Amino acid sequence: MNIPARRRLLSLVLACLLTASGCALERSAPALSAFVPSEEDRLVVYTSHKEEVYQPIIKEFEERTGIWVELVPGGTNELLERLAEEKDRPKADVMFGGGVDSLEAYRDCFTPYFCQDWALLTPSMRSSDGLWTPFSALPVVLIYNTKLVPQGRLTAWQDLFSPAWQGRIAFCDPSISGSSFTGLVTLLRAVGGDVDDTLMAFAVSLDGRQLSSSGDVLTSVASGTDLVGITLEETALKRVAAGDDIALVYPADGTSCVPDGGAMVKNAPHPENAQLFLDFISGEDVQRRMEESFSRRPIRSVPDHSQALLPLSEISLVDYDISWASEHHNGVLMSWAFFLGGGEQP
Amino acid sequence: MKLRHSFRTRLFAGFLLASLLPLLLCSAMLLQIFRLRMDTQAQEESQEQLDHVISVLDGLYAGFRQTSLALQASPYVAPALAQGQQDSAMVYSELYSATEGSRSSAQFDLYDREGIWRYSTQSFPIYQEMPIHWGVLHAARQSDGLVFSQVEGSGEGNSAPLFQGAAHLTTPDGRDAGYLVITMTRDDFHQLLDGTYGSQNDLLLLNQYWRPVYASQSALADTLAPRLREQLLAGEALHQEGDEFAYGTALQEEMGLYAVLQLPQALNQSTRGLLTTVTVGSALVCVVISILMGLRLSRQMFYPIERLHSAIGEVAHNNLDVYVPPYQNDELGQLAQRFNGMLVALKHNQEQLVENQRELNQAQIRMLQAQLNPHFLCNTLDTMKWISKINQVPQVALMSTNLADILRFCISPEEFVPLRREVEILQRYIEIQKIRLSGAFSFHAEIPPELEDCLVPKMILQPIVENAILHGLDGVEDGHIQIQAERVGETLLKIVVTDNGKGLPQDMTGAYAHRSRELSRGHLGLYNVDTILRKYYGEDFGLYLSAGPLGRGAVVSATLPLRREEEPEC
Repeated sequence: MNIPARRRLLSLVLACLLTASGCALERSAPALSAFVPSEEDRLVVYTSHKEEVYQPIIKEFEERTGIWVELVPGGTNELLERLAEEKDRPKADVMFGGGVDSLEAYRDCFTPYFCQDWALLTPSMRSSDGLWTPFSALPVVLIYNTKLVPQGRLTAWQDLFSPAWQGRIAFCDPSISGSSFTGLVTLLRAVGGDVDDTLMAFAVSLDGRQLSSSGDVLTSVASGTDLVGITLEETALKRVAAGDDIALVYPADGTSCVPDGGAMVKNAPHPENAQLFLDFISGEDVQRRMEESFSRRPIRSVPDHSQALLPLSEISLVDYDISWASEHHNGVLMSWAFFLGGGEQP
Repeated sequence: MKLRHSFRTRLFAGFLLASLLPLLLCSAMLLQIFRLRMDTQAQEESQEQLDHVISVLDGLYAGFRQTSLALQASPYVAPALAQGQQDSAMVYSELYSATEGSRSSAQFDLYDREGIWRYSTQSFPIYQEMPIHWGVLHAARQSDGLVFSQVEGSGEGNSAPLFQGAAHLTTPDGRDAGYLVITMTRDDFHQLLDGTYGSQNDLLLLNQYWRPVYASQSALADTLAPRLREQLLAGEALHQEGDEFAYGTALQEEMGLYAVLQLPQALNQSTRGLLTTVTVGSALVCVVISILMGLRLSRQMFYPIERLHSAIGEVAHNNLDVYVPPYQNDELGQLAQRFNGMLVALKHNQEQLVENQRELNQAQIRMLQAQLNPHFLCNTLDTMKWISKINQVPQVALMSTNLADILRFCISPEEFVPLRREVEILQRYIEIQKIRLSGAFSFHAEIPPELEDCLVPKMILQPIVENAILHGLDGVEDGHIQIQAERVGETLLKIVVTDNGKGLPQDMTGAYAHRSRELSRGHLGLYNVDTILRKYYGEDFGLYLSAGPLGRGAVVSATLPLRREEEPEC
């Protein structure tokens, strides 16, 4: 036998052995594939809600529809950026969470859908072009420390300019927190007059100090570091329920009630399921559940629900223009940063 | 000299290949077979345990179903729920009898159509009120039979409710009456399932959408369950590369519960590590043994070869006094012995050669000594020739002419001359001797013309003839000397000198060779001729002496190779 032939034989034997061991590696997978849901039974949701909020909704949605939900939790801006990046090949079907003004800002990523009950939604809470579907109404409220501030001292936005509060107002940086920006715009609307004058006066009231997280507003007021603060109703009610020493004030000169919501991603892989989901979150059962369990103000009328929240009709509202807010987003923030820094440098 | 593939390296590589390759192949194969067997075994075992779990859950469901059917069929329960407080004792009696078999595994509560708690098999309800537009009650209303749902936001602790089943109860006339709610806590699951799966395994119960319901170790619900769900959705196998665990799955369809059994890999990391260590250890031992064997064997072969090698080098530098000691009695030892033998022969040959050369030189020196100052003699003889011619003494003139020719012939540089010329010079010599001995003998040369140009060593005939004249014809009248040349076969020339003189002494007949010089004293001419012939042509040649015909005289024959003038000398 010559050498190449011998080599060939050797490599043949080796190959056989390796194949044999390779076969041994290959495991007979259990019939797991039978459990894998088909593509029609899936939905990919990007959510910026907290787990305690989204978890029961997702679970209920799955059980009612038989659709498997894949969740990608994250921050609002982070997820919206991600949607913008994935615009050509979207992975998500639905963006769930985030103020509708934020959703408006990324309107290129979404496709309009009028949910099943669109006609039944509170008119001020629904999108006229169907770009987003509202989830909860989130009025901006003022809070105060019940131990340090007597009841009735704080009633309106106008009161914030009083020297009594100067430097003791808890307000989060509006460039960080979307709700804080909404609060600032609401203030501008409620106070009226020249935007720059109001911004300058408010900066003076803050004494140039603002907080770096929206959660800090509650903590700061509850602990007495600050006397009053600006936050969202839902957050404030949660802390009140937890027993903190704070009270809510719906400003007499009007507040805004911008909802958060969900929107269907443009070219979503599972558009029908996404529509089912948007129908579901704006549906009666979810709205009732959110109000009962999470103090989230519904965006539609829900029959025979417990009247835990002050009815929206009793809250005076300013004319909050979402499109004005998103258009002037950067301008307002720039002026605000300028005045807050002392006004020396434009 | 640098070797590219030294013998030692090849030997080592060979050993290494021969030992390591089978070892590694065997290890790999054993490992695979071992693993396959263990895996199969583990798979069977896990299937068995899963079957057990599912059968327990099946039993549980059967109990629940029976309870719900019994309560629905009861004439008291639905009306009691529908119309508020009635005879609660009857309702409890019905409830207890309906839950007879399964009461130990769950809590059974009855809620009215508003979701307000009414009756319970335990002292306290799990919830005083349950939402009817949400969760399990909502689902129960949509369905005819029992529905099951995982409890959302279930708390920590062993009594936390994990799983609920509900059935919608209606009055016989079809009106909405209320709900049966079955609640299972972590404890209930624990009691139910403990012992159905192996002690080192863990069990995970997932709902229809693979969200965790129960885990034998509560931490697994938060860590493992989401990962498994992700893998399932991504279409990957549950077992990932490098995972310490294997998984088995089974479904209890009615309750929509997936049982996932987590069992430690049959071949876990430490076992695999141990096997690898053993394999690597064996491989190392193989390498060491290969090196040692390679070194030892190569040294055994290399030493003798090296010694032989250096001995050959010595021989190449003309040192023949080397000796290779044959240490071993094997092929290499034999080789060394042969080499030694070869050296001895070579040495002997060389000594022989030197001796031959020395003897030839001595003979030539003697010849030269005999030719002392020949030029002077030649010139003197020429002068004598002229003086004798002037003084009219013709014999002297003839003698001196002949003598001068002989002398010239002798001192000519050629060592070999044609036979013709040799005979010519011989005739001059004869002429001189005739004058000296007053013509007392006759001479006759008989050379065939084709042999005239054969080459013979110079002056080989003269000593033979001189010997014949001085010793054979001394005192013999009518002496005769004859020279004959003849060809013997193709290659030999034989020259025979015959005289009719007194003959040879008895002890001188035969081949002249191998006689000491002492014996040849007085016959130095013959001795020289014989020596010259033998040194030129080899031991086979030389003079042969014999008695003449009729017992008179002597015959001296010289045999030598037949060579022609034009042939190159060797």
